Amino acid sequence: MMREFKFMLRDKAVCVWLSLAFIFSVAAVTLGLNEVSQQRAEIAELTQLDLIERKATLSDQSDWGSAAYYTFHVTYDPPSDFAYAALGQRDVSPWKHRVRMLALEGQIYETDANNPDFALIGRFDFAFIASLIAPLLVIFLLFDLRSGEQVAGRLRLIEASASSPARLWWMRSGLRIGALAVVLCLPLLVGGLISGTAILTLALCAMAVCLYLLFWTVLTLRLTPATRTGAYNLTIMLGVWLLLCAVMPATLTQVIERGVPLPDGGEIVLTQREAVNDAWDLPREATYEPFLERHPEWVDNTAWAEDGFEWKWYFAFQQVGDQTAEPLSQAYRAGQARRDDIARWSSLISPATLLQRTMEHLAGTDMQAAINYEQSVRNFHANLRAWYYPKMFRSEDFDANQALQTLPVFEPETKTGA
Amino acid sequence: MSSTVRIAREEWRQWLRSRLAILSLIVFTALLLFTTLLTTLDAQEARHQRLHQQQQAEETFLNQPDRHPHRMVHYGHYVFRTPPPLAMFDPGVDAVTGQSLFLEGHRQNSAMFADARAEARTGGFGALTPAKLYHLFLPLLIIALGHGVILREREARTLGPLLSQGVSGARLYRGKLLALGMLIVLLSLPALFSSVAASLSGESALAGLMLYVGNLLYLGVWAVLTLLVSTMTRSRGVALGVLCAVWVVTVLVIPRIGVTSASATLPTEGKILTDMRMNDDLRKLGDGHNAADPAFAQLRASLLAQYNVDSVEELPMNFRGLVASKSETDLTETLNAYAEKRMQRERAQATHLSAFGWVSPYLAIGGASRNLAGTDLETHHRFLREAETVRYDFVQGLNEVHIEKLSYIDDLNRNNGEEGNRRARVDAANWQVLNDFRFTPDPALDRLSRATSKLTTLALWFFALIGIGLIAARRLTP
Repeated sequence: MMREFKFMLRDKAVCVWLSLAFIFSVAAVTLGLNEVSQQRAEIAELTQLDLIERKATLSDQSDWGSAAYYTFHVTYDPPSDFAYAALGQRDVSPWKHRVRMLALEGQIYETDANNPDFALIGRFDFAFIASLIAPLLVIFLLFDLRSGEQVAGRLRLIEASASSPARLWWMRSGLRIGALAVVLCLPLLVGGLISGTAILTLALCAMAVCLYLLFWTVLTLRLTPATRTGAYNLTIMLGVWLLLCAVMPATLTQVIERGVPLPDGGEIVLTQREAVNDAWDLPREATYEPFLERHPEWVDNTAWAEDGFEWKWYFAFQQVGDQTAEPLSQAYRAGQARRDDIARWSSLISPATLLQRTMEHLAGTDMQAAINYEQSVRNFHANLRAWYYPKMFRSEDFDANQALQTLPVFEPETKTGA
Repeated sequence: MSSTVRIAREEWRQWLRSRLAILSLIVFTALLLFTTLLTTLDAQEARHQRLHQQQQAEETFLNQPDRHPHRMVHYGHYVFRTPPPLAMFDPGVDAVTGQSLFLEGHRQNSAMFADARAEARTGGFGALTPAKLYHLFLPLLIIALGHGVILREREARTLGPLLSQGVSGARLYRGKLLALGMLIVLLSLPALFSSVAASLSGESALAGLMLYVGNLLYLGVWAVLTLLVSTMTRSRGVALGVLCAVWVVTVLVIPRIGVTSASATLPTEGKILTDMRMNDDLRKLGDGHNAADPAFAQLRASLLAQYNVDSVEELPMNFRGLVASKSETDLTETLNAYAEKRMQRERAQATHLSAFGWVSPYLAIGGASRNLAGTDLETHHRFLREAETVRYDFVQGLNEVHIEKLSYIDDLNRNNGEEGNRRARVDAANWQVLNDFRFTPDPALDRLSRATSKLTTLALWFFALIGIGLIAARRLTP
């Protein structure tokens, strides 16, 4: 065993690939940790500014309606302590919002887009290394294992001198892939210690990576017989990699997208806006009727004090705007969830997808996490409405202090890694 | 027949005899054709759909009933970005940025509903496009087929006899280069198809041609690199290892490191944070809905003096409209300053990133391809600017209507019962202030000039590698 280990280290190509793997992994983990701490810093700054801004805004107001109109609230989804390994959906879906009591459908789809060139090229995180580059490394480490010896004319000799040739090859490849797993996972674990990730999460992730490497090891050994040349074997394996890591996931996305069409997102916002804008010209009853269906408790409070503008009516038609867009919005979200569901099941036939999704799940950066966050923003917005409505419909006097102290505050769900 | 051609023909005979070479060629060609077809159909559909949506949005705006003009300012309008014809080859930033923009008074919205957001997460490299296949994966095929062109002769011990029979190393090199050249020309045919198809649907032939040439050049860089490694190494295993390492590092690793480096050295502030900072600036400008806002006191005083009257009621125009118009001008100035700052930052990031193009041909061709196709960052920025012009024009057009066609008294009494509300409306014919919006790609020459530095990088790589290759070939020994 030790002897084999020394053999391996004497192979220059193996050393080069293992060093590259180590460098990649260290870089990915460092960059991931850096990104996560930047996101945390941004959230800290946002929540602080939010508080200052709200204080300033509220002190300028004189009634509950304008308080609700002018005060914004920051909501956010903090990265988990394992997010450094897989940034996942956080790069695509918004993880922070600034909402007020206007119709929510007009606010919730605002995305804080990064430089689009960046999103095109993609992120260098551990999930990328593990799911797409690691299989290549396995291939590079193993494709010439037996064919190389064959070309050198040593294959017969080596197989004859070993008690069991199969065991020998397994041991040799086991050593190489074991070393690969170590150099890949070591930086991940160190990153986990720095970021305070639960041991279980780290262990599960490392296990997933090892299983994935094992899958590629078996595949490579199966498909690269000694009877063929190394070049031939490598070409075949590159084809297999292309198929499993690029064509398969892309095909799945295409199939799922065509199989589960979503309503046009712009349509949701359009519907909501039309409803809100039309309300100005409609008789007030047309707004209050659908509003009171949801809020029968205010049926006796819709009277107009004088001819003029009424905030309660204004916010009632904001809510009616949301209600009108609700079927579309729900269909959109249901479609998103359904696509994710199918993707989860279909990942069973696409190993690269499976690993990617597993890591994103462990990191709390999958589609489900994004959906949960969106729901928490919706809940928060509903709390805002529930807080303001009594004050507006009962025409209570404005009190900036009371507002500051009792306004709902957004609380993110606490997330640990898994 | 010259010996160069003979050598090239012999190489092709070898490839055609190899089942593996044929298989990989077939697989790649099928993949290319399939992806080209699918992307073409998608792009065509998106073009029609968005053009239709644009027309519909314009109709809806014009068909709004009589209203208070400021209500139309808030009613807003949609603009859509129609993808350029060459998006059938390289859809570029389209999927990431979203394609529609909602325009309304007092604010600049970001593009909404990027496709990427609701996409099923399946890992991998995302949706395949012809551009992605050419830039990411075709180099692999060139490596697989080409790494052995010289080494094969070496391993079969035919290199010695060839060289001693008077075929010089340089001639051998030229022959093999010709063989590889024919290979990449063959592989580039689907790209040529996309270019021609785009030209037929209205794209400038120059842009299409340059896009094709750029991709050919990129494949050429990989071909001469492969040939060089094949000349300089002693065994296929080593050659493959070196080429694969170069591919992994330049195609998969450096671009992504470049992205991270660009966003770390030139960080952009998130939109929310910018909005919050901007809010401070905007508060100083005053609220355009409130004509009594102290910020407009000076405007009021100067108007009263100019028309020699005592109150705004006596002014010959609607003071509320004037305030709305003035505040929109000031506000837009601030908004544009922030937007320009952001775009400048993004361009600086792009420049930082493209500096990595010198060590990663992948980045160079990726950038050039988006430039030429008209699906790059600059085009997106132009879309944002043009949309902003449409927004400002219709909002100010409506404010003009507000100033000229609605009396101040009627405006003040707009909430005073049914009659007051009715009198505070203007005729729907005034909605004609909206301009048509049709987004078209930049002129081909502009796009070409943006791509020039990247294409030059590729050309330099190409000729440098050929030069080194020729030197190495002259010194070729069995």
